[in-house]
Amino acid sequence: MFTARMKQLIAVVLDHDADRVTKELLRQSVLHFVNIKEITSSWKSKVDSVTPKISEALIGEIRKRIESFLDLAGYKPGSEGNGTLDVEKLKALDLDETNKALDNIAAGLQGRRDRQRTIQQEILRFEDIKRQLDLFGDLRSGIQARSQYSFLSIQTGSVRSAHLEAFSSALKALPSVRLNFREEEDRTALLLITMKRDEARVNKILDKYGWVDVELSKEMSGARDEVINDLETKLAGLRSEQEGLNDQIRNLIEEKRAGLDTMWANLRMNELYYKIQSYFSKTARTMLFTGWLPAEKQGTLDESIKGITGGRCYLEWNDPKDVQKNKESPVPVPVQLKNPRFLRPFQMLVQNYSIPEYGTVDPTPFVAVAYLIMFGLMFGDAGHGALLFITGLISSIAYKGRNEGIHNLLKLIAWCGLSAIITGILFGAYFGMQLFKPLWFDYHGIISGQAAKSGFVKDVYGILVITIYFGISVIGLGLVLNWINLVARRRWFGLIMDKGGLIGGWIYGAGVYVAYYFVSHDYKAMPAADLLFWLLGLPAIILIFKPPLEFTIRRRKNPAEKFTILTPIDFFMEWIVEMLEIFSGYLANTLSFMRVAGLGIAHVSLMIAFFEIARMVSGGASYNIWSILVLVLGNILVIALEGLSAGVQSLRLNYYEFFSKYFSGSGIAYKPVSLRSLD
Amino acid sequence: MAGALRKYAFINAKLRARISKIIPDELLGQMIRSHSLPEAIQLLRDTSFSVIESVYNKTGDLKMGELELFKKEVNLYLELERFVQGSLLSFIRALASRYELDNLKNALRLWFDRTVRGRSIEGSAGYLYREKIHYDLHLDHIINAGDMEGVIAALKATPYAETVEQSALRVKEKGSIFPVDIALDHYFYRQILKETEKLSSRDHDLTRRLIGVEIDLQNINWLVRFKSFYNLPLEEAVRYMLPQGFNIDRDTVASAYASQPDILSWLIQEKYSAFAAMLTSEGTRAPSGSESYSRLILVERILEQIMMAEVRHVLAGYPFTIGIILAYFILKRNESKKIMTILNARYYDLPEDRIKSVL
Repeated sequence: MFTARMKQLIAVVLDHDADRVTKELLRQSVLHFVNIKEITSSWKSKVDSVTPKISEALIGEIRKRIESFLDLAGYKPGSEGNGTLDVEKLKALDLDETNKALDNIAAGLQGRRDRQRTIQQEILRFEDIKRQLDLFGDLRSGIQARSQYSFLSIQTGSVRSAHLEAFSSALKALPSVRLNFREEEDRTALLLITMKRDEARVNKILDKYGWVDVELSKEMSGARDEVINDLETKLAGLRSEQEGLNDQIRNLIEEKRAGLDTMWANLRMNELYYKIQSYFSKTARTMLFTGWLPAEKQGTLDESIKGITGGRCYLEWNDPKDVQKNKESPVPVPVQLKNPRFLRPFQMLVQNYSIPEYGTVDPTPFVAVAYLIMFGLMFGDAGHGALLFITGLISSIAYKGRNEGIHNLLKLIAWCGLSAIITGILFGAYFGMQLFKPLWFDYHGIISGQAAKSGFVKDVYGILVITIYFGISVIGLGLVLNWINLVARRRWFGLIMDKGGLIGGWIYGAGVYVAYYFVSHDYKAMPAADLLFWLLGLPAIILIFKPPLEFTIRRRKNPAEKFTILTPIDFFMEWIVEMLEIFSGYLANTLSFMRVAGLGIAHVSLMIAFFEIARMVSGGASYNIWSILVLVLGNILVIALEGLSAGVQSLRLNYYEFFSKYFSGSGIAYKPVSLRSLD
Repeated sequence: MAGALRKYAFINAKLRARISKIIPDELLGQMIRSHSLPEAIQLLRDTSFSVIESVYNKTGDLKMGELELFKKEVNLYLELERFVQGSLLSFIRALASRYELDNLKNALRLWFDRTVRGRSIEGSAGYLYREKIHYDLHLDHIINAGDMEGVIAALKATPYAETVEQSALRVKEKGSIFPVDIALDHYFYRQILKETEKLSSRDHDLTRRLIGVEIDLQNINWLVRFKSFYNLPLEEAVRYMLPQGFNIDRDTVASAYASQPDILSWLIQEKYSAFAAMLTSEGTRAPSGSESYSRLILVERILEQIMMAEVRHVLAGYPFTIGIILAYFILKRNESKKIMTILNARYYDLPEDRIKSVL
């Protein structure tokens, strides 16, 4: 129920044991390090910082370099399923050697990229030719325009058929298009398109193979499409060659993958090794370090450090409350939220808001229950829920091992789907239809005005009342959790006097009773005046004493604070503002839960509207293809739109109406230097 | 108030979210320190610039990546055009025309190189943006035109024909494409300022300020070059100046140009005194390289800082104005420029400190 219990370790080991201790700390991966100079300022002058032999930032950059290479083959080292790090394999780094190996790979990549670029230049030239040809109506106009379009040379002529193959191979080195258009006796007539800048080289080849200019025949002047087809073939060939080079790069990385992976693992472990040592401080012959870990891990770490140092160490274990003693400002204790795996999506929602203060209630299980009930009430349809559940489940399985945040979000969608299935069965709603009798009440029937007028929920008003009761329960639970937190933190004054404390709860409970009494008497009667005094007047009077009591407590700590003639006016104003805050705040918080009914009603109304449209489309007869299409699209729209709205509104109610009652998000997350961390 | 909220709430929230995704300096640092161009490009794989990585991996050609980036930037504007209407739409269209004009300038440079200078431009036309932004530019007709008249004829269906025609004579006289470049910049700012007049008074003031500062910066940049590198006479320098700057007008320039040997220092100290510290070596990293080159780098760095200060001012202000849109485009342009500078520097294998000095 509470955040995990933590222990602080202050350790002193001998200089020559530092390496083995660092490796053990890395192997255990449990210590959230804190610089020892932050613990007490008096140590600042007595100990020196340790400068790691190699900067972890430098190692990190080389590691990222390897990651960028491996990414070319679609491989992510260190991610789930791609091997684990083993401290036994940690070796001393030779960064020059590593960089040399990586430079070799980089050179291999660069060579292939350069070749790709050369091919790209060819592609651009061929595309230029194609664009030029597009400018001509036919080839004859192209030949006539030869002088004008200076970087394109179009000519027609013939070579001996026996030389045709050799002639073609000689031209292969140049961007060119050839089209054979006539064979007469032993000569073949050709259309030749080349780049003008290659004119000298082209002319040499033409001379060598006895090129003779001929007139372009009429039928060939329209052969532009054939030329363009030829160009397209050449372009496709070049693009495929480029793709081939990209495949070569992937293969190159695949070949080197095992080596790169080993290199990466060693770099990563060294990076973490030096990160741990960057938290060390030293005296002449000892090393000191400090940090936090879950209390349950204390025994294992204590034993192993003593074991590897042969008992030549000093380990001091402190409870957070001991650490806080004699400290001017509170010492931040890292917070570990320890929940079963299936609650991770809800833990993510809590952490997105903030980290709870150490030693207070971990809201995760409460958020899970409240969130799912809210979502279910807003999205109560078993068919829609089933689709959400299946989508969330399949995609979360497919996404496993990748971004943890998205994976949790997909699992949350599956949870929401499950909740909607349950409420859908309770409301008898299946894709907007009533396939089975509702177990609780007929939501659709109430909204469409066709439900039986019996039972607890008879109309829309009844639905609103349910959500208000639900809101009262959530706020009530929030107040109880706040009292537990205040007791755990020994904040007795706050427990009694805060607006979320016992008196605040008294006023809220009384307010709920008064409102219930007023409504149940047809909005015509209030409880008796003397009862009202005991319910609302007395706590309000008690709260008058809060500002002066706070002032007295403050003055005890800070005698410089003066009581002036204006101080009583301040007290009075504080009391007035607090009263307004309590009455208007609790009322607004409770009524805010009516949005749950609002979203639920919108969900049902949209489905009713789509069924009505489908009926109109089918002309009143049984469903036809168009009406089915309307229903399918309508369902998709409702799932997407209402699913998003219900998800966001549930989150909003948790964050603002529930958390505001008890959640103190001033904690810091527990982040051990760990072999499993990815940052 | 409600109108501004309706007009800007969605689009500005969207753009603010995108601003938060602008590449951090840490990643730029990693790119600068990378060992080769492919490795620098690979670092962009999980960013909004991943398009450069995918195109480079396919073609090995950085310029193709640059072209893809250009397409992406154009699409940003075209996407925005779908979310706005009325005077704001006209203003965004005018802003987007910057890309059309840049593309036209590139085509005109190719035409000039091929026709006037007689240089080979083969393959270069492949790096031009081929899709329509607002007008059909018929780039191949422009590049292949036999003379300036041919270029103007190819542009006749666009509003740019008139601007190009007006500067045609000067192109011939100068033997340079520069007069057309400047004329098109004048056209761009004229259109922008015209559209600014149709905006609400709050948007108008904000836009005038940001565009005015941009005009100032463009003018300072040109004036330093005119004075220090081309030694142009005052009349000609003033003629090229963009009107309606925020702090710097023609009279200021005329007096500075004629009497001040170091026009940059004078203009910064007089008109942007908050940035005067950057003029001294203590105020900035000293760029390496030749003195004139360093001076230009310094100019660009100071001007960029001035612009960024304006952007920060806008981002800290009232959120439901056109300011967020303008700030977003300025930041994106700046980000793209930095990325391409680093990649080109990696391509030419420039040392780390040299790259840092030009950013």
